[in-house]
Amino acid sequence: MIEVNGLTKVYGENMALNGVSFSVAKGEVIGFLGPNGAGKSTTMRIIAGSLGASAGSAKVGGFDVAEHPKKVQAILGYAPETPPVYGNMRVRDYIEFAATLKGVAQVSDAALRAMKMVGLEDVQSRIIENLSKGYRQRVGLAQALVHDPQVLILDEPTSGLDPAQRVEIRHLIQTLAEGDRTVVLSTHVLGEIEALCNRVMIINGGVLVTTDAQTQIAAPGRVVHVEVARPEDGFEATLRSLDGFRDLGRKGDAYVVRGERDLREDVARAALSYGLLELSGRERLEDIYLRLTARSSS
Amino acid sequence: MSAVFAIARRETAAYFASPIGWIVLLVFQLMTGWMFLSGLIWYADASAQMMMNPYGGDSMDANSMVLQPLFGNMAVIVLLFSPAVTMRLLAEDTRMKSFELLLTSPISSFQIALGKLLGALGFGVALVLSTAHFVLILRWLGDIDTGILMTNYLNFSLMLGMLFAIGLFCSALTENQVVALALAFSANLLLFIFGWAAAGMEAGTAKEVIEYISMVSHVEQMGKGLIHIKDLAYYLTFIGFALFATTQRVEAMRWR
Repeated sequence: MIEVNGLTKVYGENMALNGVSFSVAKGEVIGFLGPNGAGKSTTMRIIAGSLGASAGSAKVGGFDVAEHPKKVQAILGYAPETPPVYGNMRVRDYIEFAATLKGVAQVSDAALRAMKMVGLEDVQSRIIENLSKGYRQRVGLAQALVHDPQVLILDEPTSGLDPAQRVEIRHLIQTLAEGDRTVVLSTHVLGEIEALCNRVMIINGGVLVTTDAQTQIAAPGRVVHVEVARPEDGFEATLRSLDGFRDLGRKGDAYVVRGERDLREDVARAALSYGLLELSGRERLEDIYLRLTARSSS
Repeated sequence: MSAVFAIARRETAAYFASPIGWIVLLVFQLMTGWMFLSGLIWYADASAQMMMNPYGGDSMDANSMVLQPLFGNMAVIVLLFSPAVTMRLLAEDTRMKSFELLLTSPISSFQIALGKLLGALGFGVALVLSTAHFVLILRWLGDIDTGILMTNYLNFSLMLGMLFAIGLFCSALTENQVVALALAFSANLLLFIFGWAAAGMEAGTAKEVIEYISMVSHVEQMGKGLIHIKDLAYYLTFIGFALFATTQRVEAMRWR
């Protein structure tokens, strides 16, 4: 559904994107991860047709964005991080305005359907600038959905929201991702990505580090997180002496042990005598993210 | 075209949803009202004096003594105020990020530019309508030449179109509304000042060109009730060129 080939974007002397290539199949829900300024929004804006690429191409539904932007935009909905709203408009007027721009035939029906999907019916007569940030994000989502697009691009839809609002928006995205709609979602909240996405791409410094982060997850037991009550009694040395030990790191109070083989049993046995508090034998997305972005930065 | 009209409708409504539209309308009303009243008092005084003179009554003409000066003054007022009307057209969209909605909708850059211009002209219609009572008063007081009146309204509308198109382009150049206002004001002033420059020049091609670029001669000609193709072409060329430049600018913003 989305084909990106060698996408490059240069701002003056700064290379925001450097040869990014990936593809997204119909119905896939893709998570797009990366630090601030990594190139996520730039990639998304190029795919949505609001920004031109310096080199490379992006195709949506078989149409090249640069050559056929209208055809792409007719099947694509884009919700930027800052909702593109007119503060002085009423919610319903704004959604109907967006529907007209997107060439929807039954404007009123489409606006009602979009408002219903994102839970805006109760505030449809309110002025947008008087809404809470969470509701404004919903308005931004509604304008992206009003023409029932096959592809949805969501740039940090939960940015700046409180935890309750985040959960609401997350449930909403879950609903939107049902069926065969293709969704590209960028967020800093790794839990969201894990909960919502089939696949995770990581970008750093304008370079795509991986197009499928889950495949980078180490086999069970190769990375063990362990926390003990009395580590000062020589726990670190004990871990280093384990057969198959590779390296040791710290993450808060926990030790992160990497091994050449499954170390779960050995680490657990060793930790018992130091007061085992917590042990996990699976690498998390957060670890992969930090590992891959740190590696690519260096 | 529905997208163009949707943009235009939204823009016109936005003027009345913010203080700027009402302030411009109010100030325009106060200034034109004061000028109309001054012209009327002067006309009444002159009429009273002429009534003493049995041979002077025929030279009294409300068209040239009240109507034409009124429209001339209206031209100067909109020259000064049009940047306040147009400054937000694209600059505000860019700053508030609402422009992203337009850029990611299946509409062309020309449709965006045309919709914005028509939206400003929607407010222009309100400005034009706000002068209707002057005409009614003049009609009640004496004879007004309908041809001259309609030509003056046509001239005023075309001038609004030209100044709004120039302002729209200036608004596309920056996301700072004050900068957009200053740019449009400077451009308008240049169109006015060219008239003075031409007055001091010796006859020749340069003088003719400067005179043609200046707004003054066109306003004066049409103000007399004369419709020349060159005057219509002047306004339409400026509108067309500014619209084209704005389209190019929006296109550049899309693909920059």
